[in-house]
Amino acid sequence: MLSCRLLLLLGLLLLCKGQEESGGGESCDNFTDLNLSHCFMGTVLYVRLLLYTRSNLDCGRELDHHHPSSQPLFNVSRPTAFVIHGYRPTGAPPIWIDHLVQLLAEQEDMNVIVVDWNKGAANLNYFTAVTYTRDAAHNLTGFIETMQEEGASLSSVHLLGVSLGAHLAGFVGANLHGKIGRITGLDPAGPMFTSAIPEERLDPTDAMFVDVLHTDMDSFGLRGTHGHIDFYANGGADQPGCPKTIFSGKAYFVCDHQRSMFLFLCALNRTCSLTGYPCSSYSHFLEGRCLQCEAFKPAPCPVLGYDMSQWRDTLLKLGQTRAFFSTTSTLPYRKMSYRVDMVTWNQYLRWGVVYIRLHSGKNFTEARIDHKQLRFEQYTSSRLLAQFDEDLQQVHKISMRINTGNVIGPRYKIRLLRIRFTPLERPERPLMCRFDIILEENMEVAFRPLPCGSGL
Amino acid sequence: MDIELQTKTNGATYLSKEQVPAGNGDGAAYRITEVGEEDGLLSAQTSGCNGGTVASDHAVETQINLEKIHTPQETSAVCRIKGELNEVIFWRVKLWMAIIILFFFIFAVIIMSMLLCSVIHEDKDEIFDPSTFQVPQCFNGSFQLPNLVFTEELFTMSSNESQTLAGELREKLADLYRSSPALGRYFSKADIYAFRNQLLLADFQLTFLMPAEHQDQLRNITLSRKMVYNVFRQFLYDQEPDESGQMYIDPVSLKMFLKH
Repeated sequence: MLSCRLLLLLGLLLLCKGQEESGGGESCDNFTDLNLSHCFMGTVLYVRLLLYTRSNLDCGRELDHHHPSSQPLFNVSRPTAFVIHGYRPTGAPPIWIDHLVQLLAEQEDMNVIVVDWNKGAANLNYFTAVTYTRDAAHNLTGFIETMQEEGASLSSVHLLGVSLGAHLAGFVGANLHGKIGRITGLDPAGPMFTSAIPEERLDPTDAMFVDVLHTDMDSFGLRGTHGHIDFYANGGADQPGCPKTIFSGKAYFVCDHQRSMFLFLCALNRTCSLTGYPCSSYSHFLEGRCLQCEAFKPAPCPVLGYDMSQWRDTLLKLGQTRAFFSTTSTLPYRKMSYRVDMVTWNQYLRWGVVYIRLHSGKNFTEARIDHKQLRFEQYTSSRLLAQFDEDLQQVHKISMRINTGNVIGPRYKIRLLRIRFTPLERPERPLMCRFDIILEENMEVAFRPLPCGSGL
Repeated sequence: MDIELQTKTNGATYLSKEQVPAGNGDGAAYRITEVGEEDGLLSAQTSGCNGGTVASDHAVETQINLEKIHTPQETSAVCRIKGELNEVIFWRVKLWMAIIILFFFIFAVIIMSMLLCSVIHEDKDEIFDPSTFQVPQCFNGSFQLPNLVFTEELFTMSSNESQTLAGELREKLADLYRSSPALGRYFSKADIYAFRNQLLLADFQLTFLMPAEHQDQLRNITLSRKMVYNVFRQFLYDQEPDESGQMYIDPVSLKMFLKH
């Protein structure tokens, strides 16, 4: 309810702002603002192209589809990013649109063109919006061809599509025979596309480089791999901090799906660096089986964001890559990850789940690695991935607890020869070690970590 | 239901007369229903369970049967079981009591054995026979005592001062290794055999004894230089510089190598 009101308020504010600016002499062309009544009545497709550059970040200028250069701010020699929104069931402008335009303009001096197909996308009937994607794509293809005639290069064109917009971008790319520089798909829409063949949805042949972020594969998003690299946030389905029940109202429906945009904005902002670990599945990733990125050496593991140049060539060579990462529920989303290696000298094989706390002064942060039982075998290294919500600079104390799931009977002991914590994504931080400890079932053991020393 | 229970508890002593009024209230309803078929079934039921007691009162029984939607066979089986459960085995103990007690007993035995199991559980990792530990593994090394006040006498190993210091350090090393869960059982002895130059380096030797079986694994993993060295190093990192005073050992100065 609150979020609904906020959205309404935001919409009103945007409206007011638009009016103010238009009153100031220069005419700004803003995103089409529709309301629910339009959605009820249904809208007919009408595509507007709103240009934003570094010199007119707050004031969009509508471009002529046939003579884009008639707008003096439009410079075909600069790279061009198209922002394509998705289905708009309420008709209101997307809340993220201004933020995204700002951040894109910060990345590079380029033309940011908002593809405003709100008339068309704002329909209560989702299927109407889906059918309009083809027409909108056709329209946009024509515009890009005109741009090309006026001297723009296709390889400097970047399409950013959200949800349904991701497929729209894919269609444009396919119309232009995959010669477009890049397509970024943010949680490509799932409904009506689940069993689509590659030609009917976003796929890697649509552009020279396609990157996709998945956050809501189990409802509005689409399962599978659709780009050269597919990032799956928290496995790509349910996002932390999103409501689990319908009682939370609108957020229940849109939270997971919208998270893709917020994660991408955060990545553009460089406030969160989200490293994706190439892996076959999320559970393998959580088990700590995919924490190295040998294929990308000397570059690190791929990081979500605008600049993918470090990984682009390798990713193209690899074909399709799935990359996984976990996030927290709020900004800055990133988690602090450690690879933990343990060696036991117990004669008998034991299984257990591990809880680890890092302490720094009075602060502590906990990781519960209980999605799968960990195997402790004599003289064999057991590896796990521990992800903490908070990033503590200096770890003064580590406490651990194990649970073998043994309700009755004796308390088992896991005797460790060594435990080692390797900070991932922060290679400058020292490795932490501890030797010769005993973990008794359900008993918290605390110790002071020491630097691992050479050769360890 | 009421009637039925009464019938059961009072057994043969129950008077059929008293049942009639209970059923008569619904007498009209009964008369409307078909009786013919049930009568036949009813006779079978009556003979099976309650004997002559209820046999006289067809109306009541059928009424009950209709209400409960029980087939007469079912009812009869339930009746029979209930009857059997109420049989007195000895003194005042009835069969159902005996069955419950039996269940409790089984449950108690299970709990007891589980408790016993966890109490007498022996951890195989804590059982070892020191007499089989015969293969030696030795390490030599040195460390620095930066806080120690330097005197000439320390350099002659026979002097009282150096003997006392060596004794203290030997004790420290022995304590540290004996208290180690992984290495303690293999530890044999620690020696301090020299103090060197002005920086006060102490040379030491550690001796471990291990069993002949699994000796390769022990040599390479548990009793490897890495492990023995790091247990010492960890101890040094844990010591508080001000508390240990003169006996403070600099962790960075620790050197150790395997003696062949």
